[in-house]
Amino acid sequence: MAKNIFFLGKGGVGKSTSSALTALHLSQQGFNTRLVSMDPAHNQSDIFNQKFSEKFAKINENLAVKEVEINKWVQTYLKDMQSQVKRTYSYLTAFNLESYLDILKFSPGIEEYALLLAYQAIRNEEANADYIIFDMPPTALTLKFLTLPDISLTWLENLLKLRLKILEKKEIISRVKLGKKEIETDKIKRKLLQQIETYRQLQKIFRDPNQTLLNLVLNTDKLSFSESQLIVNNLKAYDMRISNIFLNKYYEGFDIKPIRQQYADYGFQILPQSDTPLLGVPKLSAYLMQIDSFISF
Amino acid sequence: MVALLHKFIEGLKRNWKLYDEATRQTAVESIEFELGEMENIFGLLVLGSFIGLPAPPMQITLDLLPEMEDHFVLMLNKVDMANEPISNLFSVFDIM
Repeated sequence: MAKNIFFLGKGGVGKSTSSALTALHLSQQGFNTRLVSMDPAHNQSDIFNQKFSEKFAKINENLAVKEVEINKWVQTYLKDMQSQVKRTYSYLTAFNLESYLDILKFSPGIEEYALLLAYQAIRNEEANADYIIFDMPPTALTLKFLTLPDISLTWLENLLKLRLKILEKKEIISRVKLGKKEIETDKIKRKLLQQIETYRQLQKIFRDPNQTLLNLVLNTDKLSFSESQLIVNNLKAYDMRISNIFLNKYYEGFDIKPIRQQYADYGFQILPQSDTPLLGVPKLSAYLMQIDSFISF
Repeated sequence: MVALLHKFIEGLKRNWKLYDEATRQTAVESIEFELGEMENIFGLLVLGSFIGLPAPPMQITLDLLPEMEDHFVLMLNKVDMANEPISNLFSVFDIM
């Protein structure tokens, strides 16, 4: 199974550049690599000087890049839901009332779930790759995405507990009333169990450092450092651990000690400030040749 | 004579059945009330967003929505009785 590498951090710290450099580096090492932009800002097209879409485009023999359109995934999911609800209430067509259900496709607050659907689809399609690198959106949405399995499981497990109690009571009632146990297949219980299974798998993948690496990008400024600590603590609360720190736009003379001390237990990659914008494969490759060492995954 | 006896036994059986049903009904009445309340809570938790309560992540609600029709009906019935909770309890526990 492919290993996930997520790049996260404050907006503008260089998540896209760091992930592009990592993807290029791994592909040059001979690893079958995919780079996926999950950030609606979609900087990869600019970085590689090439227009990307929902389809993987080859950069070299080992590297392919694509950009995920979150809105497209939101719409696909909601349309699917809408048709499911319409199927259940198909009798409404008799009164031409079904069109009122069209409003469902404007449900807010499911961007993180759409990202999760896109992630699952990519992971299944590209299972044979060595690495799938995800260039993530800024902090708020990324944290929602990574913690969605945990939050959903908290709800689902409690709902299931209540559902089981309800079914137990129903069973007692049918046993007393009819004198025998009535075996009932509860659709709600089945759906809850299905969802729990899916989220447990995702939670396991996100927490396992052998399957998922979380790379945190920061700059030399105080703001990105503060936000990086916020990200570390937030993820720690959900048993997720940052694997590597990428210090981007490092310049000579900057005192690196406080950051190194703070993140002593993590892998560390320094990416020095480049004199020219890192745009296009030749520039990215030249930059990779210049830096002393690149962290191994 | 035999026919009369037979009729008597049949009547006895019928009455016993009625008595059995009635006592079974009484036995589960409070459990049924509790079950109704539990299903109402389940509905409120899953469909809370419809009445402005905090709700689970939207995809959980949307996934369960097609199966929740009965819960909607139950929730509406409960709203009807919401201003008489004590009298409901008194009738369930057969007080007074």
